[in-house]
Amino acid sequence: MVEHAYLIPLLPFLVSLVILFFFDEDAHSPYAPYLGIATMFWCLVQSLVIFHQASSGAVHPWPYEGSWEWFSFAADSAGKGFSAAMPIGILIDGAAAVMLVVVTLVSLLVQVYSLGYMHGDPRFKRYYAYLSFFTASMLGLVVSNNLLVTFACWELVGVSSYLLIGFWFEKPAPAYASKKAFMTTKLGDCGLYVALLLIWAKFGSFKISMLAVSAATPGVLTPLAATAIGLGILCGAAGKSAQWPLFIWLPDAMEGPTPVSALIHAATMVAAGIYLVAKTYFIYAASPVAMEAVAWIGLITALLAATMALVAYDIKRVLAFSTVSQLGFMLCALGCGGYTAGLFHLTTHAFFKALLFLGAGSVIHSVHTNDMRQMGGLSKKMPVTFGTMFVATLAIAGIWPFAGYFSKDMILERVYGHNQVMFGLLTFAALLTAFYMFRMIFLTFVGDDRDHERHHHAHESPWVMLWPLCLLAFLSVVSGAALAHNGFFEHLVNYKLPEGLMTETLAPRLMPYAVTALVCGSIALSWFFYGRNDFTLAESLKARCSPIFSVLENRYGFDAIFLSLVAFSDRIAKFAFWFDSSVIDQFFVDGWGLITRICAELSGLFDNLFVDRTVDGFGGLSMDAGVLLRSLVTHGQVQEYLMYIAVAVSLFTILILSR
Amino acid sequence: MTAIHLIFPEIALCALALALMVADLFVAPKHGRLLYHLAWLASIVTLCLIGLSISDAARYQGLGSLWSVDPMSQFFKMLVLLTTVLSLLMGLEYKDLPPARAGIFVSLLMFASTGMMLLVSSVDLLLTFVSLELISISSFILTGFEKRNPKSSEGAIKYFLFGAFSSAVMAFGISLFYGATGTTKLLGLTQAQTGGPLFILGLLLVLLGFAFKASIAPMHFWVPDAYEGAPTPVTAYLSIAPKIATLAAMLRLFAILLPAKVFDLTTLFVLLSALTMTIGNFTAMFQRNVKRLLAYSSIAQAGYILIGLVSGTVVGMEGVLLYSFIYVAMNIGAFSVAQAVASQSSGADPYGLESFDGLSQRSFGLALAMTFFLLSLAGIPPLAGFMGKFYIFQAAVQSGHIGLAALGLVNSVVSVYYYMAIAYHMFFKPAATEEPLSIGPYLYGGLAVAVAGVIIFGIYPEPLIASVQTSAQYNLP
Repeated sequence: MVEHAYLIPLLPFLVSLVILFFFDEDAHSPYAPYLGIATMFWCLVQSLVIFHQASSGAVHPWPYEGSWEWFSFAADSAGKGFSAAMPIGILIDGAAAVMLVVVTLVSLLVQVYSLGYMHGDPRFKRYYAYLSFFTASMLGLVVSNNLLVTFACWELVGVSSYLLIGFWFEKPAPAYASKKAFMTTKLGDCGLYVALLLIWAKFGSFKISMLAVSAATPGVLTPLAATAIGLGILCGAAGKSAQWPLFIWLPDAMEGPTPVSALIHAATMVAAGIYLVAKTYFIYAASPVAMEAVAWIGLITALLAATMALVAYDIKRVLAFSTVSQLGFMLCALGCGGYTAGLFHLTTHAFFKALLFLGAGSVIHSVHTNDMRQMGGLSKKMPVTFGTMFVATLAIAGIWPFAGYFSKDMILERVYGHNQVMFGLLTFAALLTAFYMFRMIFLTFVGDDRDHERHHHAHESPWVMLWPLCLLAFLSVVSGAALAHNGFFEHLVNYKLPEGLMTETLAPRLMPYAVTALVCGSIALSWFFYGRNDFTLAESLKARCSPIFSVLENRYGFDAIFLSLVAFSDRIAKFAFWFDSSVIDQFFVDGWGLITRICAELSGLFDNLFVDRTVDGFGGLSMDAGVLLRSLVTHGQVQEYLMYIAVAVSLFTILILSR
Repeated sequence: MTAIHLIFPEIALCALALALMVADLFVAPKHGRLLYHLAWLASIVTLCLIGLSISDAARYQGLGSLWSVDPMSQFFKMLVLLTTVLSLLMGLEYKDLPPARAGIFVSLLMFASTGMMLLVSSVDLLLTFVSLELISISSFILTGFEKRNPKSSEGAIKYFLFGAFSSAVMAFGISLFYGATGTTKLLGLTQAQTGGPLFILGLLLVLLGFAFKASIAPMHFWVPDAYEGAPTPVTAYLSIAPKIATLAAMLRLFAILLPAKVFDLTTLFVLLSALTMTIGNFTAMFQRNVKRLLAYSSIAQAGYILIGLVSGTVVGMEGVLLYSFIYVAMNIGAFSVAQAVASQSSGADPYGLESFDGLSQRSFGLALAMTFFLLSLAGIPPLAGFMGKFYIFQAAVQSGHIGLAALGLVNSVVSVYYYMAIAYHMFFKPAATEEPLSIGPYLYGGLAVAVAGVIIFGIYPEPLIASVQTSAQYNLP
């Protein structure tokens, strides 16, 4: 099965084209979704088989690589020319096997869920085509063994996220959000692009397995080059995974359909950045500076996003900030040498974050608003949604035995071993996580209904939307324990760091208990503020610390900074346009045109006076010659013709014989 | 009679023609079209016989007592048969032919083709003469086939009188040749046998006999009248098949069998070529009848092909072959369009230039196809005619006949004038009637083949050049 892993991205890709070009645009046509779902189900089955083979050690050699010739060309590196071959193929290692399962599973559930959520949308079929395309791009990124193909898929992920965030493009907000997401991630991609150029210049290859071998060979990769490449990749990852300072697009991306948000946040888009860093981990292993940068970027993001989530009232925004924060956790773990921890959290997070978004979608579907201030007391109306979301919240807060506990614990342990200041800050971020997540739960489901009208009309979602929630809830409970059992996950995705980076300061044995105790305290605090139907305490705190609140609500002004950057570019563009139209066009181009015209007039004069007369003269000459030739034959009589022939024959004879 | 198996295709075609003639007796006139279908199918079968044997070197490379079967002859035989097929397809759409005589018509056409196939293989002046006569007599009857049309009869009579005259000239030439060498065989002539004035005079007269069939000045006078009078499919056929077959025979006789070492006819060829081109083109300028115009144009085209003969080099020979091939496509195409237009013209002269007025509005595709053919005839890139002219003029320049090449270029420029006159009528004159012009399926098929040939071999001539090179390279003596 593993040798046919290329089918996993190719099938959804083909299906998306088929749906897009061959299906009727009919809001009630069931075939497009069912084709997409069936394909994704097949991909999930194949991924599970691959996962099983990988975890049972049935694949030899491991990691599996299948490579085909794509094209080759003459290249030049460091002054010596060579024929560079560009292979295309698949590379399945532990991380890829896990990601395949995560992406296909989440995508499948999202597609099933969308059957209910997007029911009756006028562009139903297009929605499914885009979903398949989005997933296919991400799967291509996961399985590719060539960084160039990875980059292409990376950009396709960007394109499809643009299409899906702006799916309701008639409304100004989604159109704006999709543009913002695309341009911000593109800003990060510039760094990734530079990194790719450097990699080509340094290695002369894009094949990941080859790069890993070369990077480990002493003397090939200087620390400086490794740092430059690593920072470039980090820049790309920061854009795609919404890390500081490029996280500004993710909250706005909430304008897309909620299932799409689930897909973006859990599996297809933001995971790409983390996955890319993991995939090129050998670069970071060669550069402690880049590694440290990864860790700090992750930490900063985790903290900033967590604080911003504290004050948001839009249920999806809270979740968006929480995603940013959790991605910061993963990046921080990767930066501290916690390859396994980062990927583990990526996996568990995918389940409970998809669940949270789908649950939020269910709530929004029911009450038709995103504002948590207009919700409250929904637990009685929507028991299944409440139950599953509560499970997910416990998981993300890190309560034993839910999935988040194991992964977060692994991260904190790793960070503790690396840097204890970092550990402190990250633990603080974890406490904030528990606080704002329970704030969301309390505001949404607990207490009295604050908007009676909405509450009255609220209803539980149909089962097609609920059973994906249940399945994800199950996974959110068991996946952590199951994967952590006996170091199963560590064994699967193991990455051996070079000796120098293995700073093994073991965390105290009591650390998990201490953290859990603190988290419980944080939850209690949250209940104290928001869980009791009495918000006076929260309101007074808000009034007293209003400057801090407004800073948080304005997202530390990062949006403003980027907007002023845009405005500045706008001004430069305006100036360039003025320069182009007033100086270059009017002076150079028009001036050159004038000179050309003068020359043309002169040339035309010459043509008229001399050339044309000559041509006419020749024309007249030809006519005269024709008239002459014709005048020889006037009567059309055979005798006359024969006479000419006789004369000609005689002349020819004389000509030949007289020589 | 040795090696008679070599001319099996000719025998087959001849037998099929005889069978069709007999079949004419038993087929009711209203089913006359059936015979056309049988005829073109028979031609295709013969074409396939030759085509299939081409790859089998052992079967076609051979020398009979009177004939030589080599790649060059096979190439021209296939061209002749191709022309026959396309002309028969045109005949299917030609309304003025009496269906009662269909069997006679098609079998005469096939007899003429048989004559041409023998002509291109002939290595003995006797066979040459006999096959020329076979072509001529069939052609005379075909020209006068439209008995109710006085022009047809006039053309046939003029053609016949000229034919008789030139046959006499040629027969006289052959007798002189025999007198000088003691044989009519063209192979194995010794140095002593060639070179005398008697021999050269004989060759000159034989050449004039050929010139009659190939419509080379000064033996061209019959052409406009015969072409104008003959039924259009016959005109198309006569303007192509006998011309290229005769040029092939001339190529064999004057460029391969008797290389100009002891006697030099090059000056004469230069003269003939120059004269033919110039007369053809300059007279064509004044024609108001498209058939006459194309008749003069075909005279001029023969002049161009003759340039390839003048050079006497391998490139020149290849040029002759290449040009002949392209000439088939563009001339049959032009005549097909003319026939289609004339068949639905209400004017006094159906073939007048006025019939083409506004053709682009009545049938844009037909007008476009005609433009392709005309541009190709004028030798404008990227159409096939350009490749042909380029090849031939290149050969002339390489062999030092720069003046002749220059004259050819001047003539090409002049020819653009009258070719574009037709295009002018098609695109810029208002149509007399808005009625869309419809063409029959068989004409349509022939046109499609011709357009494809003109365009494809203009843009991508490599396969054609390659086949021409192989055909011109290996020639039996």
